[in-house]
Amino acid sequence: MSQPLIDLQHISKKFDDTLVLDDLCLSVRENSFVTLLGPSGCGKTTTLRIIGGFESPDTGNVIFAGNDITKLPPNKRQLNTVFQKYALFPHMSIAENIAFGLKIKKKPKSYIDDKIRYALKLVNLDGFEHRSVDSLSGGQQQRIAIARAIVNEPKVLLLDEPLGALDLKLRQDMQYELIRLKNELGITFIYVTHDQEEALTMSDTIVVMNQGYIQQMGSPEQIYNEPENAFVADFIGESNIVDGLMIHDELVEICGAKFACVDKGFGTNQPVDVVIRPEDIDLVRPENGTLQGVVTHLIFKGVHYEMEVTTPDGFEWLVHSTDMAPVGEKVGIHVDPFDIQIMNKPASEDEEAVGVNE
Amino acid sequence: MKRYSLKQFFQDFYLALILIFLYIPILTMIVLSFNNTKSRTLWGGFTLKWYEQMLQDQAILNALNNTLLIAFVSALIATVIGTASAIGINSMKKLPRTVLMGINNIPILNSEIVTGISLMLCFIAFGISLGFKTVLIAHITFNIPYVILSVMPKLRQTSRYTYEAALDLGASPLQAFFKVVFPDILPGILSGFLMAFTMSLDDFIITHFTRGAGIDTLSTLIYSEVRRGIKPSMYALSAVIFVTVLVLLLITNFTPENNRTGSPQGNDAALVRKRNRSARIRKGVLGIASAAVIFIVGFSTYSRYSVSHSNELYVYNWGEYIDESVIEQFEEETGIHVVYDLFETNEEMYPVIEAGAVQYDAVCPSDYMIQKMAENGLLAEINFDNVPNIKNIDPQFLEMSREFDPENKYSVPYTWGTVGILYNTKLIKERNLPVPERWSDLWNPAYEKEILMQDSVRDAFMVALKSMGYSMNTENPDELELAKQKLIEQKPLVQAYVIDQVRDKMIGGEAAVGVIYSGEMLYIQEEVKNQNLDFSLEYVIPEEGTNLWIDSWVIPANARNKENAEKWIDFLCRPDIALKNFEYITYATPNRAAKELLEPELRNNQAIFPDTEKLEGCEVYRYLGDETDAVYNSLWKEVKSN
Amino acid sequence: MRQNMKRLLAGPYVLWMIGFTIIPLLLVVYYGLTDKNGTFTFANVLSISTPEHMKALLLSLVLSLISTVICLLLAYPLALILRKRGIGQGSFVVFIFILPMWMNFLLRTLAWQTLLEKNGVINGILNILHLPNLAIINTPWAIILGMVYNFLPFMILPIYNVMIKIDDNTINAARDLGAGTLQTLFYIWIPLSVPGIISGITMVFVPALTTFVISSLLGGSKILLIGNVIEQEFTRGSNWNLGSGLSLVLMIFILISMALIAKYDKEGEGTAF
Repeated sequence: MSQPLIDLQHISKKFDDTLVLDDLCLSVRENSFVTLLGPSGCGKTTTLRIIGGFESPDTGNVIFAGNDITKLPPNKRQLNTVFQKYALFPHMSIAENIAFGLKIKKKPKSYIDDKIRYALKLVNLDGFEHRSVDSLSGGQQQRIAIARAIVNEPKVLLLDEPLGALDLKLRQDMQYELIRLKNELGITFIYVTHDQEEALTMSDTIVVMNQGYIQQMGSPEQIYNEPENAFVADFIGESNIVDGLMIHDELVEICGAKFACVDKGFGTNQPVDVVIRPEDIDLVRPENGTLQGVVTHLIFKGVHYEMEVTTPDGFEWLVHSTDMAPVGEKVGIHVDPFDIQIMNKPASEDEEAVGVNE
Repeated sequence: MKRYSLKQFFQDFYLALILIFLYIPILTMIVLSFNNTKSRTLWGGFTLKWYEQMLQDQAILNALNNTLLIAFVSALIATVIGTASAIGINSMKKLPRTVLMGINNIPILNSEIVTGISLMLCFIAFGISLGFKTVLIAHITFNIPYVILSVMPKLRQTSRYTYEAALDLGASPLQAFFKVVFPDILPGILSGFLMAFTMSLDDFIITHFTRGAGIDTLSTLIYSEVRRGIKPSMYALSAVIFVTVLVLLLITNFTPENNRTGSPQGNDAALVRKRNRSARIRKGVLGIASAAVIFIVGFSTYSRYSVSHSNELYVYNWGEYIDESVIEQFEEETGIHVVYDLFETNEEMYPVIEAGAVQYDAVCPSDYMIQKMAENGLLAEINFDNVPNIKNIDPQFLEMSREFDPENKYSVPYTWGTVGILYNTKLIKERNLPVPERWSDLWNPAYEKEILMQDSVRDAFMVALKSMGYSMNTENPDELELAKQKLIEQKPLVQAYVIDQVRDKMIGGEAAVGVIYSGEMLYIQEEVKNQNLDFSLEYVIPEEGTNLWIDSWVIPANARNKENAEKWIDFLCRPDIALKNFEYITYATPNRAAKELLEPELRNNQAIFPDTEKLEGCEVYRYLGDETDAVYNSLWKEVKSN
Repeated sequence: MRQNMKRLLAGPYVLWMIGFTIIPLLLVVYYGLTDKNGTFTFANVLSISTPEHMKALLLSLVLSLISTVICLLLAYPLALILRKRGIGQGSFVVFIFILPMWMNFLLRTLAWQTLLEKNGVINGILNILHLPNLAIINTPWAIILGMVYNFLPFMILPIYNVMIKIDDNTINAARDLGAGTLQTLFYIWIPLSVPGIISGITMVFVPALTTFVISSLLGGSKILLIGNVIEQEFTRGSNWNLGSGLSLVLMIFILISMALIAKYDKEGEGTAF
């Protein structure tokens, strides 16, 4: 593997007395699309601001292309940021906004004009040069913010929840737009969001964060299918997290029923957390199921039905299925062995947060 | 952990410098308010006597009461009118709304002096006599815009849907307003009220133009006091006001949690609880404070107006020109309530009487001004049957009065004296300056920045005209032009043009020579003795001759209580009263009977009672007609603006 | 119907405005454009061109301009420092800087008289240190000092209030795009705080231009400003027509500043309160 473009080494940061980042290490390869994902307050935005130079870490170093840039002010860094709520300059026209960085660098006028035209074309807003900022919609402002950043040809584009203020439809369109841009420009994107769908759709690599720690880092598929702990499982998509007992390798007991699985190495008779995605549960006839329960809720969701199945011990299973079973019907629950994800139980709340970083 | 950078040091240094600049004056005043001596540079030990003096000063207490009352009532009325109209304006269409908001901004953007003048002209034009109510109206007028400006944004924020939701849930429009909209805009209303209150407290200029007889707010009182000379009780007043304002604002404005906005992690429940608690405390304190103000103001108003004064007397006099106990004695003996008001110069007094903005019953102008008032029909003839004590007045002064009141029918002499030069023996000696003997000595360049001139037209021109040997009543344009040039020539030598302040400035050793009224001499000599000053102040009547002046009581033609005014004048002519006044104001009394009661040493003090026959070349001011007056005025303006 | 009822609530104030704002101003216009006998004349307004009035007006303009510039130069960095340090609007630090505004205006000026007089506090201290005395009382400098001192908070507050509304990320964006400290100041901070600057300038300039208190307390009545001329025409000279005429001239300057405010401060964000 080649040298990482950005390397965060043992970064810690406190605000007042709250620890926001604790000994965080993260490497970003060139030309990747990395998403920092997590609930608000997890430290993802702070990480981005440390990379951008808007916060300085209390300890640790930021390495960019082999150079330590920890103390470099933001205006000297070869990266650009697209801010949450865009942060366009309200007193400048669209063209002036886009030209800002280039004018600072004293580029010739013809070069700047070309760049403005090119950038506007790239974000599909040709001819908007002389419009004022307030005359633009949220989505348009967003694209201008991106255009303003990319004309400077940064090595890395930092995006801080750039789609947070847009409505659903626009957000989906912009996701494709961003992927297209990323491919056309061939630069590294570091993207911050709390929206798991965005993360799954766009990224090469997802970094799930919580309470200042990295919980899991991996491709979208890895993150979704093999969550390493209950937090990741719960945060990414919907899931049933059940207490289980690892009888021995490849056999787990859930709600009193024994399920075959593919995981090994958890010891024998160990309490574990078991994650089963709602779409991985097959509803079968009661007699064919490993577990039996009664359908207690039913909602039509368009592409599938969402059902709640209550088993005798009182656990409510969330089930997504294209087949419908009416409320009150007895059903059997079947799960394929490779759809069962076994995780160690955290010893305490604290350890739950510490996760994989330890 | 964080380094203290050079940049931060410079920033802190800068903040500190500005803070010093902002607070040094205030701190100085607070320190001086505890200083036992009147000196501003010597610490004479700790004392609270200036505070006692302030608390015993009826004028300050009255002004304080007026200030609070006006601020409270005007803020209250402005809040009611302002809130109602904000609601009205907010529901209007764009055009009328823009127009009304534009007019609303006028009193805020307009300079206070123009607002004050315009209101004064308006009151006078509609015959509303200047007084408490005009000040109140003026304050309401400039307060309403602030209320509207603070209610309006809240109204805009209030969603109309909440109002409609309330209607939908069965509330009547009135209920919907008071239960839903009103609580929403209440913070705006409260802050509007507070702003109006503080604006009113702090106002000087508009009050200055719209106030009338006997009504002083703290600001106008301070202004006239300061122009008379700085008294340490003013420092005490400053200290009290500063501390009060500080405490009130700390309680109402300062929320400790607000300075946490720097941290991105808003820390939840504890903070919210804290905020709620401090909001409750603030509300409580605010409630108590406003209840206290209402109580104090209400009580004082009650006590003031509970005694109705059908029997009144409006007196308009110079500052510090009466022993206040004389007023009390008069009120006790006659049962007449006296409303007492002050002016600083004849020129300031005249337009007030002319406009009839305040209908005074007894006024005490000087010689030439009496003539002007009489010629312009502003004076009523005095019925001397009601003034039997006129017999106590030395006839030679009645004779002198014929210069300006030929038939002795309008005026009764109150004080008289000369204008001369006061000099500081020590400064003269130290700087090897000549002892002044003549007016023309005041043009000696050696006196540069050591001269205090009188800041009134006639006195300033008198000095110039006399120094050249002309009459001080000249109407000759050439002579006046020469006098003007002479005054302009003198200006670089002059430290300041002052009126009453000359006395305190000379005592404070600010200047070597000053033009002063002879009546100040007794006070000055006593103060020099009391303060153990290391110099003495001597008075000379310049050789070229000077102004021999008489201040007399007159009754304006529009007086409403003429008989009371005659009783007042008669009372002042009583020997015991005249003596009391003389001892207080120390200006020579024309009252023969009173003079005889004086100790011989005082009676023969040449500075106070110069032998009138020896005063060669002395004149009494005559009124020279409006046109010549205008010439004097415009020449004087040329001098001042040069 | 209901909206109409609501509009009626503005009725009392409309009457009040007519009675105590509009009619009084019309009276100033009337007096300003007539002579003592009530005949129409421009003489009062034109008398601004006489040397003594012109001198007073020019001096007022010069002194108030200098004071306004000094206030701006002092207040802008101050507001910027407070803003950059993320000091919140209700915080004690900001409070401390605007507190003197609530102190009685005359007492504030009186304080400077005490400090500056020939035998005042400053000279007393200088004497003890055997340093040369400061002789600025009764000179234009004392008046400028008084103006700056009295009106400085009126400059700090509106600028600060506008700055506090500028999003941190707008500034970060500029830094991010390569702007250094000075470039950020000139391209972002200053253009974005123009409403506050304009409002601060008017809040300092108008009262400074028309003051008569500061000049009479700190100028020893030797220095005649246009405010003093007008005040004296009303309280001493008894020529109200002339005073009104000169007030009309002053109002022109106020109209100009109103126009400036309307142009730059459309949202009304640059107010001190």
